[in-house]
Amino acid sequence: MENKHIIGLLVHNHPGVLLRVTSLISRRGFNIDSLTVSPAGIEGFSRMTIRINDDSQVEQFINQMMKIVDVKKAEVLPETESVASELVLVKVSSNETNKNDIIAVTSLYHASVVNIGENSLTFRASGTPSQLDMLIRELSVYGILEMARTGIAALETGDKCLYEG
Amino acid sequence: MLLNGSEIIAECLLEQGVDTVFGYPGGAVLNIYDALYKYSDKITHILSSHEQGASHAADGYARTTGKCGVVIATSGPGATNLVTGIATAYMDSIPMVAITGNVTNDLLARDSFQEVDICGITLPITKHNFIVKDVKDLANVIRKAFKIAMSGRKGPVLIDIPKDVTGAKCEYEKVQPEAIVNELISGQSDFDIAADIIRKSKKPMIYMGGGVVSANAEKELLEFAEKIDCPVASSVMGLGGFPASHKLFMGTIGMHGGYETGKATDNCDLIIAVGARFSDRVAGDRDKFGQNAAIIQLDIDKAEINKNVKIDCCVLGDLKDTLKKLSETVEEIKHDEWIAQVEEWGKNSNVTETPKSDIYAHPYHIIESVRKLTSDDDIIVTDVGQHQMWVSQKYKFEKPRTWCTSGGLGTMGYGMGAAIGSAVANPDKRVVLFTGDGSFHMNLNELATVRSYNLPIVIVVLNNTVLGMVRQWQKLFYGRRFSQTDPHRKTDFAAVAEGFGIKGMVIHNDDEAEDILAKAFALNEPVVIDCKISPDENVLPMIPPGKTVDELITEME
Repeated sequence: MENKHIIGLLVHNHPGVLLRVTSLISRRGFNIDSLTVSPAGIEGFSRMTIRINDDSQVEQFINQMMKIVDVKKAEVLPETESVASELVLVKVSSNETNKNDIIAVTSLYHASVVNIGENSLTFRASGTPSQLDMLIRELSVYGILEMARTGIAALETGDKCLYEG
Repeated sequence: MLLNGSEIIAECLLEQGVDTVFGYPGGAVLNIYDALYKYSDKITHILSSHEQGASHAADGYARTTGKCGVVIATSGPGATNLVTGIATAYMDSIPMVAITGNVTNDLLARDSFQEVDICGITLPITKHNFIVKDVKDLANVIRKAFKIAMSGRKGPVLIDIPKDVTGAKCEYEKVQPEAIVNELISGQSDFDIAADIIRKSKKPMIYMGGGVVSANAEKELLEFAEKIDCPVASSVMGLGGFPASHKLFMGTIGMHGGYETGKATDNCDLIIAVGARFSDRVAGDRDKFGQNAAIIQLDIDKAEINKNVKIDCCVLGDLKDTLKKLSETVEEIKHDEWIAQVEEWGKNSNVTETPKSDIYAHPYHIIESVRKLTSDDDIIVTDVGQHQMWVSQKYKFEKPRTWCTSGGLGTMGYGMGAAIGSAVANPDKRVVLFTGDGSFHMNLNELATVRSYNLPIVIVVLNNTVLGMVRQWQKLFYGRRFSQTDPHRKTDFAAVAEGFGIKGMVIHNDDEAEDILAKAFALNEPVVIDCKISPDENVLPMIPPGKTVDELITEME
């Protein structure tokens, strides 16, 4: 099975930087399944978190990213030395008979009900990508009507930062 | 001092030591051309017939001088016409700054007349690009653009400037550019590991590429190769980076390289790649390339490591520094037995040559006759196709920056512009353009430029009346179905030349070749020589795409 790797990218907050990164991903054929962008907490910088699916591509991915002038740093965030988290909003088909079952399932994942429709329940949950995968798998039994995931945000544990100084 | 954007552009070019630019005027660059008018005593502008020609000229200027080429074009079609030239430079890591005008800031993003998102278009073919929306940023962006183009692995940078920015006033202060220093990336341990592998090797070979020329590391490479007594094969891009007459030089490697370099690649126990990138034209079969060898790679670009082939050890940094340091780390070695073996292969690599004919001239004969008329310092430019490969095989390049060819992108139509750039940059050297009838047809409009500036370029058209390289592949792999490769053109190139005000000559066969070439060279003015060669001439030997030297084709028909 292929191993997924999370990569943290510190980029200059210039117009077009997202295009530069995604264009590179596309033309070099990198296989990714999550990309998020947000302020980095450092003046003038944004942080991208990208999850790549293919072990053999990681070295090239980092080396190619580092060639983009606006990319300051690109590093693998090792699974055991980082925290990764994302948020999902999921609308599940429900009726009077299964409503309580569904809520029971979601409470195990600390998901909260954010909206109750006539024939649906909408939950918000956050956690590691694999926790959310499990939640979604369990909910799919009842029928997922629609869903939005934010993609992964990740930071290294301990005092170490992507950008030192 | 208070200047407008266009004057700031001119001042910043002067800061960078630019005295020559190539380009073509237009609506969005009117202000820039007005400044060029004012600065015409300090900056020479060479006007091409088409922006593509100007972009290749900036490229030829850069390749033959080592300086950064500069090209200017207007917005919209002016900018898009640069694209092939920028992509050509990008693939061959040639430093270039392209300046394009754009519509005014308030007209941007409205599909205005001659508006195009050239930054978006050139994103994958530039090291970096900028759009400058505020004149206050202009000077620093230009400085940054030159630094990016010239540092690390070199390449093109584009600056897009809306017209109002070129007219807006701003305070300008001259800044002396700091020298570009490429820090050594590898630590001592990388050199120690590499040296250890080299010491253990009994049958090493060097595979050099364009990086040697780009880094001006020819002296360091020569010393290194001699110290470890190691045969050298070159990619097409590397030619000139190692003297062809040297006893360690084997010739080109790859699809149309020789038997000698192919056998050496398969039988060596160590490949030392120096500023080369294992392209598909060299390593046809990536898995079998150097399958019995360890691989050490010296490069400035970390992303080249393990990109196409898996390597055992890398040394990263400017080749000038890394080659020198590696030479210092290893002791002198001798490989007499191995070199004797390589020389033996060299003797056997003779391709069956076409017998002499009265009806046609032979391309090898033309190339060798030209070589007799040129010095080692003279500059050879080619277009793309069979003629390019023949020149790469037969012309003996002794010095770096005497060879201009589109290696990576393989741009037909590159030659005319590149020859113009080379001639403008090197008035003291002879410039010869070898082209084919296919390539020449693409951009012969630039003959007008050659005439206007009276550039004494000798243009040798190896005219086989067909699109020879594609036709050769059709012969080999498509059952001789010559789809669209025999255009039945009746162009009289000598007459075309005369029409542009340039001397035209014709060579019909080998017997008259030397005389006519000698006459052409003696003219010292632009000249086009239409050399009639056989449409059935092939480029041999040939390793079929995706294969190794085991499947070398040495004869056809």
